[in-house]
Amino acid sequence: MKANKMAKWLMMGVCAGLLVGCGNSSSSSGSSKNEITFWNPFTGADGSNMVAMIDAYNKTDPEYKIKNVSLKEGDMYAKIPTVVNSGKNIPDLTIVHAERIKQYNDNGMLESYDDLLGDYENINADNYVAEAWNLGELDGSRYSVPLDIHSWGTYYNKDLVEKYAPGALDDNILTFDEIKAAGEKAAADDVRGMAVTWVKPNFLSLMKQYGGALTEDGTEPTLDTQASKDAIGLWKEMYDEGVTTKDGEDPTQLFLAGKLIFFPEGIWLQNNLKDAEFEWGLTNSPQLSDDLNETVNWASSHQFVRFNSEERTDEKEKGIMDFLEWLRTNSLEWAKAGQNPATLDILNDEEYQEMPQSIFISTPEQQATLSIFDYKYNGYVAEYLDAHGFDTIFGKQEIDDFTSGMQKEVADKIAKDSSNK
Amino acid sequence: MITSMEKTKTAKKSTTKEWSAWLFVAPHLIIFAIFFLIPVVFGIYISFTDWDLFNAPTFVGLDNYKELFFNVDSTFYTQLRTGLTNTFIFVLCAVPFCIIVPLLLAAALNTKPFLSKVFQSIFYMPSLFAISAIVIIWTLVFNVNYGPINSIFNTSTPWTGTQPYAWIALVVVTVWWTIGGNMIIYQAALNGIPKDYYEAADIDGATAVQKFFKITLPSIRGQILYTVVMTTIAQFNVYGQPLMLTGGGPNNSTRVLLMYIQQNAFGSGQSIAGIASAMAVILGVCIMIVSAIQFKFLRVKR
Repeated sequence: MKANKMAKWLMMGVCAGLLVGCGNSSSSSGSSKNEITFWNPFTGADGSNMVAMIDAYNKTDPEYKIKNVSLKEGDMYAKIPTVVNSGKNIPDLTIVHAERIKQYNDNGMLESYDDLLGDYENINADNYVAEAWNLGELDGSRYSVPLDIHSWGTYYNKDLVEKYAPGALDDNILTFDEIKAAGEKAAADDVRGMAVTWVKPNFLSLMKQYGGALTEDGTEPTLDTQASKDAIGLWKEMYDEGVTTKDGEDPTQLFLAGKLIFFPEGIWLQNNLKDAEFEWGLTNSPQLSDDLNETVNWASSHQFVRFNSEERTDEKEKGIMDFLEWLRTNSLEWAKAGQNPATLDILNDEEYQEMPQSIFISTPEQQATLSIFDYKYNGYVAEYLDAHGFDTIFGKQEIDDFTSGMQKEVADKIAKDSSNK
Repeated sequence: MITSMEKTKTAKKSTTKEWSAWLFVAPHLIIFAIFFLIPVVFGIYISFTDWDLFNAPTFVGLDNYKELFFNVDSTFYTQLRTGLTNTFIFVLCAVPFCIIVPLLLAAALNTKPFLSKVFQSIFYMPSLFAISAIVIIWTLVFNVNYGPINSIFNTSTPWTGTQPYAWIALVVVTVWWTIGGNMIIYQAALNGIPKDYYEAADIDGATAVQKFFKITLPSIRGQILYTVVMTTIAQFNVYGQPLMLTGGGPNNSTRVLLMYIQQNAFGSGQSIAGIASAMAVILGVCIMIVSAIQFKFLRVKR
């Protein structure tokens, strides 16, 4: 009888514990009074750079300290609608990718910065890379402030360039013709001219060079076009002619092994190349023309947004702005993660000027090459490119099927968007 | 007088008993409700709506199901067919090996060979790793240029990019990953078979193969039924292997239904949760039907 009673209490305790556990987990992201809860998707190596920056800021003894909450990207984006809808524990400040902002704004989830910018006049268009700054302005209101602009480029093995493509990079612009010539020369030595890498940035950069755009009116996709066909077609041609890496090959491995000349990749990849036993450089992504004015480099951007919340006080808003203003002049740590901060103040820093990725920001002309594809339904395009891009380049899908399939899939998904009806 | 007092006492006792019974099942019941029952009911409800996670779901009746089953021109119709076909192919290819390989290994270990405990640990170990770690290892093994498989056979097969190699790779990875669970169940079952059966068979002059099919298999029939059903359900929910190893390629030939469901609900574009939920419900119904059929055929006839 006694044992029975004890067991009963024990079970009750377990049940209570379970329920308490549930209650706690949902409130853990809530912020205390003098803290700014800051959500971001930096769980990788860049996360430690972000933490270092936040620590440095908190050491300046601001009235509102930043509380860093790094979430896995997928989890964060899944959580945002739920949290914002519930109206509780909404983060005070959040980093989202540039491509998401239109969607959030169309759902009325974002708070504008308009009333706050008056007191912070340095946070303005003149002090940030234009491509990263402009997309935050929708219907005449500002909804985001950029942290960085991370772009696509080409890594190259300096020894191999010397050997197979001398002079190709004198103008810092690498054309497909130059790659082809180098790749044909190198094939005899079992060295690949160029790697077939992430299709999305490669394809979008090239499609824009061919005069294409994801959409004309901001809603309807325009993907089954000659520009799309030409863009994917050129990559396929490079593969067919034996200039590129082959299906299944790992470009990073080949590059590090000295078997690859040109390696189109994101600026954030450079930390993976530290072990390279040769000198490498970073330049613009592959181009059709060697005219810098026509150069296009795919880019994206991490942007600071504030989701609607009734709990956020005016004082806290001011605290957020203080943090953003501080970051404007203290972004070197972020550059150390391989990123390009969007603030132009960074250009005054000598240490930054030495970093390989600074080429993309170094001059206004170079800045103009950066192109963010912030079409509202960019996500659907990305999903299609990820699923079908390699298959088309490697000859497993016809080019016409690729472009018509992309148009159809994206249009069908858009038709399901109830905010459109 | 006495009897009525006795009665109230017993009644009181039985209610206390009932209460404690509930208390004992409560932890499981609560977890079951929170993590299974409520999500399932909610998921079924969502499958009858249009929902983008942002705004309130709008009820659309059977529209999602109509689109998935009958609208031949719809992307989602194609997705369901492709995803379901690929999932069934995977289940058909993987489940037999997920049963046979652990069974043979368990039978071998049951003869208590030299270092049997060490081998048991080695065979079990992959089950302890997360699928992402498993896939990273196998991506290196299947690597076109530097992978051991292509070096040993002196080939340059792009294992994860061409068929039928992509399916072979997926099945190999899955079997390797899941050997442990079933093997342990079979080992326990094999241990429970009385030695007398084998001694009697020896006297009658039965061969090892005969003993395996006439004694071993029938004796562990219950465990085999259990593992077949559970393994089938698990393999219907395949996701991590094709996502990371083949990326659904080549040409969507290994893109399983869960990948479409995940992408539609939580992809990089606006969520299409209604369609995704309808797909999930259809997958759930398929799993239930297949499990029921397996039960019917494999149940021990007494």
